[in-house]
Amino acid sequence: MHKVTSALLVLVMGLTAVLATGCPRRQEAVGPPPIKIGIAGPMAFLQGEHHWYGALMAQEEINAAGGVQVGDTKRLIELVKIDTNEILSPEDAATAVEKAITVDKVDFLMGGFRTEGVFPMTEVAMDHKKIFMICGSATNELLEGRVDKDYERYKYLFRVTPIRSTDLAKVCFEMLGYVGVIMRQALGLEKPKVAILAERLLWNEAMIAAAQQLIPTRLGMELVGVWRPSATATDVTAELTAIKAAGAHIIFTINSGPVGITYARQWGELEIPAVSIGINVEAQKLGFWDATQGYGNYDTTLNTYGKVRITDLTLPFYDQFVERFGECPAYTAGTYEALHILAAAIERAATLDADAVVAELEKTDKHSATGRIVFDNLHDVTWGPGYVTGIMTQWQDGELVVVWPYPGWQGLHYEGVVSYKIPPRVVQYWLGQSK
Amino acid sequence: MWRYVTGELLVLPTRVVGLAACLGLLALPLVTRDPYVLRVVTLASILAVFAASWDLLTGFSGQINLGHALFFGVAAYTSALLNLRLGLSPWLTILAGGAMAVLVALVVGIPCLRLKGPYLSLATLAFPIMLTGLIFAFPGFFGGELGVSGLTRLAGTRLREYYLALGAMLVLVFAMWKITDSRLGIIFHAIREDEVAVRASGINTTRYKLLAFCLSGLFAGLAGGMYAHFLRIAGPALLAMFFSFQAIIWTIFGGVATIYGPVVGVFILYPVLEILRVVREIRMLGFALMVLVLLRFMPEGIVPWLEHRLEPECPRCRSRNAFTRRSCRVCGTAMGRPSSCPGRATRSA
Amino acid sequence: MRGETRLLARILVAGLMNVGVYALLAVGFSLIFGAARIINLCHTGFYMIGAYSMFLLVVSRGWPVLWAIFATLVVVAVLGIAVYKLIIDPLREHEATVLIVTLATAVLIQEVLLILFGGHFRGMPSLIPGYTTVLGVRVTYQYLLTLGVVAVASLGLWAMLQRTRLGIAIRATAQDREVANLMGMDVTRVATVTMAIGVALAGVAGIMVAPIYVLEPHMWQPPLVTILAVVVLGGLGSIKGSFVGAVILAFAEVLVVFLVPQGAFLKAALALGLMLAILLIRPEGLFGVAFEGER
Repeated sequence: MHKVTSALLVLVMGLTAVLATGCPRRQEAVGPPPIKIGIAGPMAFLQGEHHWYGALMAQEEINAAGGVQVGDTKRLIELVKIDTNEILSPEDAATAVEKAITVDKVDFLMGGFRTEGVFPMTEVAMDHKKIFMICGSATNELLEGRVDKDYERYKYLFRVTPIRSTDLAKVCFEMLGYVGVIMRQALGLEKPKVAILAERLLWNEAMIAAAQQLIPTRLGMELVGVWRPSATATDVTAELTAIKAAGAHIIFTINSGPVGITYARQWGELEIPAVSIGINVEAQKLGFWDATQGYGNYDTTLNTYGKVRITDLTLPFYDQFVERFGECPAYTAGTYEALHILAAAIERAATLDADAVVAELEKTDKHSATGRIVFDNLHDVTWGPGYVTGIMTQWQDGELVVVWPYPGWQGLHYEGVVSYKIPPRVVQYWLGQSK
Repeated sequence: MWRYVTGELLVLPTRVVGLAACLGLLALPLVTRDPYVLRVVTLASILAVFAASWDLLTGFSGQINLGHALFFGVAAYTSALLNLRLGLSPWLTILAGGAMAVLVALVVGIPCLRLKGPYLSLATLAFPIMLTGLIFAFPGFFGGELGVSGLTRLAGTRLREYYLALGAMLVLVFAMWKITDSRLGIIFHAIREDEVAVRASGINTTRYKLLAFCLSGLFAGLAGGMYAHFLRIAGPALLAMFFSFQAIIWTIFGGVATIYGPVVGVFILYPVLEILRVVREIRMLGFALMVLVLLRFMPEGIVPWLEHRLEPECPRCRSRNAFTRRSCRVCGTAMGRPSSCPGRATRSA
Repeated sequence: MRGETRLLARILVAGLMNVGVYALLAVGFSLIFGAARIINLCHTGFYMIGAYSMFLLVVSRGWPVLWAIFATLVVVAVLGIAVYKLIIDPLREHEATVLIVTLATAVLIQEVLLILFGGHFRGMPSLIPGYTTVLGVRVTYQYLLTLGVVAVASLGLWAMLQRTRLGIAIRATAQDREVANLMGMDVTRVATVTMAIGVALAGVAGIMVAPIYVLEPHMWQPPLVTILAVVVLGGLGSIKGSFVGAVILAFAEVLVVFLVPQGAFLKAALALGLMLAILLIRPEGLFGVAFEGER
């Protein structure tokens, strides 16, 4: 009995201590109250960290310049970190956002990563008529079918990054066509064979359907099969063995989960004689090289930020981010653009009133690190030459370099793009075979 | 009536606390209408029904179900699909969800009840995972990992949703408590303690176990439907292994085989998890540690632990008395020191 | 070589790799269930600790591999004993409570690793780099090493169980805990030692997969479900059953991947379906002992 009581006492004391130290101390604010921005993301994971980093950089820049001019007063920006835990529990994400709105009294929200978490989160934000700038989820239906169908409710919703999934698909097919040409020349192939390796999730379903249709027709290649491992598969040897047996020259990947690392690593270690291009979110991180022990060399993925001059703002942002956080910015770091866009809209509206700010956000035409950001009638970021195009990056001997848009694509010339490299083992294997 | 209140309801500390808590929750909107607070209580109410329904099956009939999220998830998906595709109102879809959960309970129960002990537990664990496979296999219909979203709200305003969920919780938990208190409950209990003996008394235990499955499924299903309409989305997270385990955590923490224990468990642990948001980085760590330490010292759960200390049993007539009394309120026997063995024993392996 | 033979060889090689990992995990789990009669849901948590410990010692600290393996095994075994003594043993009588505390322990391990290493996906170099060709199929040396270690560990375990006093005590306790107690065995001590051996086997599995799999703090969950299916399929508490179960489920998963590539993601669901089907025919699993008679 005594033991129990003392143990309980220790527990209670421990918890109190933890709570006491964890509580944020209130700061006495001088001057006008700051504008509170909630940054919602899975903070224990890289995506959430980059939500935070991107916003942090923008906040520092804006505050260093004196803050946001709202009517007659200059107001500083205060960021509120919202750990949505959305990777594990969408319900938790919605509750976290509601707490930020009603308890922490945030004025605006941005972030979001996993679509199933973003849906409930944005519903809560719409309930409270708070502007939510999506930075991290590509699903078309987050805006399509919402902003157009029920404008009054969903007009507070905007997407800054990444481009919508159908546009992601367009970029991938451009790249696939480009690599197809290179492979035909280098290996003397008539019809390169393509295998699709895509995690079993809904977001890539439409892309796979499009790929199945386009690869044999417009791209003039042969599709040898579609493999769908789980997004968290820890072993894809069986899939890779089957793909090699099918004689594929190109593996078209569409993966966002950790399977991307497993895949790239085993692809290199087993020396599978096929090039790998498409989407591999894990390959967008600098940690990819170590995580795959270098076996991910030559893996090529769609990306948002890279060592390339998309506009004059890209490299300064990229370099500063890498220097400060030791990571290259993931697409969720688009909170950087989002915060700048939002601040500009608030200044133009001269008020924090959500409806007025929405009207100004719709007029956004922003010269940014990813290109020119203009929202379309769905409040989605516009894709295309002259707007945001997205880029493709390839791992080349430990460096993450940009290989697309190749110079001249749609008249674009991004400075710093290098040429795509076929892994030497692929060339050797196929040229050796044909002898 | 008044005599019942003073003579039965207010004589035991836990009953007083329980009554005060119910009244307090009903009166909460008079104090605050913060949507966040209402949201937390609303979710806690819905999840309390879910946890209590696990207790109804496992605590009483002893069939340890590790895949309870199956009923919750099936009902949530049923409600969501009926609401979205056919435009039925939440009232109908929630009932339909409950009915679907009963159907699933039959489909799962009939083959599985041949299995005993851990085999049954682990077989039940498999069903939600297999259903998740199905959901990913037909993404066009079930929405894959995105789930089915954009449902009608449970009620027009947060306040109405609050009272709806709270009211439903009180009614459903009371119903479950009544079931366990009836002849049916006694048979469930007996099956848990000694199935062979019950069968020997001429009772078809399989039929009763199946009934326990169905009843439990019904209540879990009603909770699942409400949950889907409250969050306005039904997704595969509802079928995850951890979601099933949550119901068990709440129930064991509150006190198994009591029905009100799980409710107490949810209403303690769910808000605690919210409070722990202030220590973002170690939120789940603190939660796991708390569950671990508390259960280490109160393996029976918090409610039986309190009952045992605050309300010793009369050595003669076995009725409970407030710890302040010197003599039993029913038979007048002098109360001795509280016995050292816990009041309610759960089944041992 | 003809096409069918190569396909068969591929299935065989890929299947054997899975068998190794599943068998190591399932046998440890089964041993613990037999001796202590508990379902240890944090079993794969120790597997994860094994993997992360290797990552920490070899990659971050640059220890020699053998030292790291030795240290990892000691750490895992000591942690296993601590968990058993501090948490499981005092609550052994409360079946459902044990379930929850072991689960809470697993979550605790996950959260501690999350704080120490973050949610990043990590990888470490193969203990032996490169690959060779077996029957026309490419197999990395790391995989062959894993197979070898599994074989050695299983043989060692088998010898221990058959030949030593401790092994006999473990088997006796698994057969009938109470009679073992009556025969003068210290069943708590036997259970503690078994726990140490069981989690050490999980640690070995973790060490072997660390260079193959992606390390992340939730990596304990998928194998937990699979090994639960394996031990149930084989019969709870039966070592032989765990082996056979590992073979069946591992090959079932590989067959799905090879024969129905579109349905590769369904391999876990199908493995569980297979488990259910076998349970419906044999309710105690393939080699299970009926525990019904126990008090």
